[in-house]
Amino acid sequence: MSQQIGILAMFKHLDTVCHAVEKVKGRTDFKDHEVYSPTSYHEIEHACAFSPSPVRWFTFVGAMTGTVTGFALALLCDWDWPVVVGGKMPGIFSLPAYVVLGFEFTILFGAIATVAGVLVMCRMPNPKVKILDKRLTDDMFGIWVPGAVVDGPQAKLLKEAGAVEIKATR
Amino acid sequence: MSEIKWEKTISDVNNEILVNLERPHKMYYVALAISVACVLLFVTMVGYHTVVGLGVWTGFAPPTYWLVDITNFVFWVGIGHAGTLISAILFLFRAQWRNTVNRSAEAMTIFAVICAAVFPLIHMGRMYLGAYWALPLPNTNNLWVNFRSPLFWDVCAISTYFTTSLLFWYIGLVPDLASIRDRVSGFKKVVYGLLSFGWRGTARQWHHYETGYGFLAALATPLVLSVHSIVSWDFAMSIQPGWHTTIFPPYFVAGAILSGCAMVYTLLVPIRWMFGLEKFIRADHLEACIKLTLLTSTIVFYAYGIEFFVAWYSGNPYEWAIFQKRAAGPYAFYFWTMVACNCIFPLIWWSKKMRYNMVISYVVCVLINVGMWFERYNIIISSLIEDFLPGSWGHAEPGLWEIGLTIGSFGLFNMFFLLFCKFFPIVSLSEIKLIMPKPLSGHGKGGH
Repeated sequence: MSQQIGILAMFKHLDTVCHAVEKVKGRTDFKDHEVYSPTSYHEIEHACAFSPSPVRWFTFVGAMTGTVTGFALALLCDWDWPVVVGGKMPGIFSLPAYVVLGFEFTILFGAIATVAGVLVMCRMPNPKVKILDKRLTDDMFGIWVPGAVVDGPQAKLLKEAGAVEIKATR
Repeated sequence: MSEIKWEKTISDVNNEILVNLERPHKMYYVALAISVACVLLFVTMVGYHTVVGLGVWTGFAPPTYWLVDITNFVFWVGIGHAGTLISAILFLFRAQWRNTVNRSAEAMTIFAVICAAVFPLIHMGRMYLGAYWALPLPNTNNLWVNFRSPLFWDVCAISTYFTTSLLFWYIGLVPDLASIRDRVSGFKKVVYGLLSFGWRGTARQWHHYETGYGFLAALATPLVLSVHSIVSWDFAMSIQPGWHTTIFPPYFVAGAILSGCAMVYTLLVPIRWMFGLEKFIRADHLEACIKLTLLTSTIVFYAYGIEFFVAWYSGNPYEWAIFQKRAAGPYAFYFWTMVACNCIFPLIWWSKKMRYNMVISYVVCVLINVGMWFERYNIIISSLIEDFLPGSWGHAEPGLWEIGLTIGSFGLFNMFFLLFCKFFPIVSLSEIKLIMPKPLSGHGKGGH
């Protein structure tokens, strides 16, 4: 999407960009616009009114898979070849000892799935990423509107909302 | 921590932090050279005993065998604790001071766990024989591992801890690597571009990132408590007097956080000077780290006391004999050094003036690290030296070979950390911006 032609409006201040986001939200001529921020300001997140991230489902499914895997690993190995230590029977009778394994696998699989979820939802890795403006990862904010032109109505609205610079991207 | 008056704005963050990384103080190179020399010593020693076997170790004899090896393993796992505590638990508590030190604490965790993981490997001596017996899995005798053994739990715990810490650390690095990518050119740009996975910094990406980061913190939080608990079970699940005690898990966790926080301070004070980061890693942030160190020191102090009380109160003569020997026996030097370093010296931090005195605090933090090494040594030697065969009782001290390996492991740790400081942002660029005054228009100049 970032490869398309459009305009990038640069903002210097957090409150200004939030105000601009509120103004363009839901407008058909700003369809698929993207907001850029140098860090994760919650004000922008609130202004964009995103629904809860699906990453949480990745975490949940990963963690539950881990729990099952941890217990299954120990129990299936016991079923295949019981290792009797100190006269104590393995298998279901040793379940409390396997809680450690279940716990560790829950965390491990949950963490891996969470990172996978972040990567999938953020569309990463993306080696063909186009950097719209170097200042966006430094101290400036931006709103990118696909299909818009520098002298179009979208640019005018963003300028009025406080954009310090409007430039074309391609 | 009182409200910090920032002299810098978010516009200074990338410029100053990243530029300083490119031009460290010349002492940085001196420190790196010393570390590399220690690593060479370590590699030579490990290489030699891999060829000829563990017989070259000065103290490799029953009943203590891998005495210093185990001490170093537990010590380094303990050091690795503070990283996840600072990055995960303090994140959930929204402690702002962690935003300046979390990156280096996380890196410290990774490198400390690597150092810890080296010791179970080298304890095999001729490692290629170890690999021959351990592999392939499933083994040919159709005999599975004992899943009820704390040693196996430990393998799972350390592996999980390392993987989760690595993921947590790297996912935090991604936006900062993108910031570097956008500043550099040529080959560096390609490398940092690949490392940053094509991060763009859109609000939607931040939204998913924040959710994922929060869940990783929530997952890592029980790990902080579990890893050293499981390490302590290596000892506590045995029936050896001095080890078989239920206080071990909380006692080990508190000790680990104490040593980890002290190590964070020990590393950050010289690093912030070498890279000119005094305006970002502020004295107030370091003072907050000292407060956490003091808190864990008092918990450790209490654990030392209650451990003695329980040994006496249990009425078990063998347990009590071990504890009497710890305090007044042939290893009393280690015991009292441990008490002085971990419990007595940190008491000066009840004074605010002392907490802000970086020279004194630095010395005390180094002493805590010495004390925590001695604590592990003291726990291991006192129970191990007098096992169930009185004929093998004796006296053991670390020899030159063991001391060399210990120094070498410190070199390895320092070398990794110094190299990290040179090529990656030591301070999290995106997170420090969050605790600085927000870039507001007009008169809105308030802090976070």
